[in-house]
Amino acid sequence: MSDVVEKTLTALPGLFDSQTGAARITNRLRQLIKSITELTSKHDEENLIKQELSAMKEQVSSPNTTMKQMREVMVRAMYCEMLGYDASFTYIHAIKLAQQGGVLEKRVGYLAVSLFLSEGHELLLLLVNTVLKDLQSTNLIEACMALTVVAQVFPKDMIPAVLPLVEDKLSHPKEIIRRKAVLALYKFHLIAPTQVQHIHGKFRKALCDKDPGVMTSSLHIYLQLITESPDGYKDLTGSLVTILKQVVGGKLPVEFDYHSVPAPWLQIQLLRILSLLGREDPSTSELMYDVLDESLRRAEMNHNITYAILYECVKAVYTIHPKAELLEKAARCIGNFVLSPKINLKYLGLKALTYVVQHDARLALQHQMTIIECLDHADYTIKRETLELLFRITNAQNVTVIVEKMLDFLHGCNDEHTIIHLVCSG
Amino acid sequence: MIKFLLMVNKQGQTRLSKYYEQVELGKRAALEADVVRGCLARRKEECSFVEYKDYKLVYRQYAALLIVVGVTENENELSIYELVHNFVEVLDKYFSRVSELDIMFNLDKVHIILDEMILNGHIVETNKNRILAPLLALDKMTES
Repeated sequence: MSDVVEKTLTALPGLFDSQTGAARITNRLRQLIKSITELTSKHDEENLIKQELSAMKEQVSSPNTTMKQMREVMVRAMYCEMLGYDASFTYIHAIKLAQQGGVLEKRVGYLAVSLFLSEGHELLLLLVNTVLKDLQSTNLIEACMALTVVAQVFPKDMIPAVLPLVEDKLSHPKEIIRRKAVLALYKFHLIAPTQVQHIHGKFRKALCDKDPGVMTSSLHIYLQLITESPDGYKDLTGSLVTILKQVVGGKLPVEFDYHSVPAPWLQIQLLRILSLLGREDPSTSELMYDVLDESLRRAEMNHNITYAILYECVKAVYTIHPKAELLEKAARCIGNFVLSPKINLKYLGLKALTYVVQHDARLALQHQMTIIECLDHADYTIKRETLELLFRITNAQNVTVIVEKMLDFLHGCNDEHTIIHLVCSG
Repeated sequence: MIKFLLMVNKQGQTRLSKYYEQVELGKRAALEADVVRGCLARRKEECSFVEYKDYKLVYRQYAALLIVVGVTENENELSIYELVHNFVEVLDKYFSRVSELDIMFNLDKVHIILDEMILNGHIVETNKNRILAPLLALDKMTES
């Protein structure tokens, strides 16, 4: 990101005067933004926003306001609410904008609705007809928008009205539609799980979709379902292992890479799901040892995202049924993290140790000196994390030293939450 | 899960806020100010994660802007740290080296981009082409 706030601020007049600048934003919006950048006090801000809100009130009630102008009003309303001022008189107009506007205006209308209205808001009912219409639109962009807003905020009681249409989209030729339909169904599952119980079979289809994006979106639902009850989904293990193998092995198109690492967040998601499936289940765990070994090996590069994957891998190895060689590799990995000069890694290492110590106290003992050092670390976050860890590994021999250090820490600690949390854990 | 994402400048002025868990309008400004204070108080050599109340903050600074993500205890902090960077790279791609002013003048578009990446507090898309495709299609339709 360019570092030129001063440069761009001096370029401000140019932006306003240039032909393209004026074409894109009207007087009122640019005036508001300009004023916001010039604010110097809370008092100034209150006056500015008060004026802005009354100007907007006039505009929304005027029959002469075009949809284009209404879009600008919505953005100004977003600004006001972002600064903490109520602009609820615009809510109904956001819905109207989504109903009546051209594509960009419609999108902004939907956006405003997702920002302004929360679950259960009475105005949401008015959104349903617009959503229904857009879901059936031949214009894919409109269908996408409708699916996006449905996945963000939708009245629970009206799910039956849109469910058939959304379900229908699961077999759409375009991947973006299928992907967004899955995410809408995930939302439905979150707010009204009984409503989507009958279509669990369709989630399977999504999991096996040839498009990796669609497959990925189904994982959100599966993570949820498997967290609630892993037993019903053990049969998915094989498929998930295969998918992870393919991802780790670089079989995805290059556009799914992030800094040369193939779909890292997808890898993390898969590792989480696999841990849940393999926990306390030797035969299921057996299916994943290979791919976990592969992941531990592949994540050799020195990039933060690789370390994030490794962390997840290590957690998985310690969660599922133990395998000696994997545990050894994972332990070495944790050791590297904890000893790393990179502070973020050190943090992750301590966090991993805290997780692991329930399964393997010796690992923590192995790094005792480093841990004691971290207790005196200048970084408060590191100190706190270390203390957390120490609670878990305290044994008869070192309890006095640890209790002393803890009391010192608590005396110097001002944060209520920390104190309550640590005292309760103790 | 992700509880919120904020883009705030060093003066504490919010340039973008997205909440994935309902927070009352009246409480947001105070929360944002508190969160930013906590992050700005950290030194450069300290880690990018802070415990805050009963959850955590992951923050990353880009010149004048601070991006802060509130996450639950069980979230992988480093993966969120990189998600933030991915987000900035997407913005860079769309705005050709994004600046604070780009964000201010295109608040709606930045939200639209973010909507493609995070839904219901979960990461749903990280492929840059796919994230930008809907917005680019919208731009094209609007121009013609």
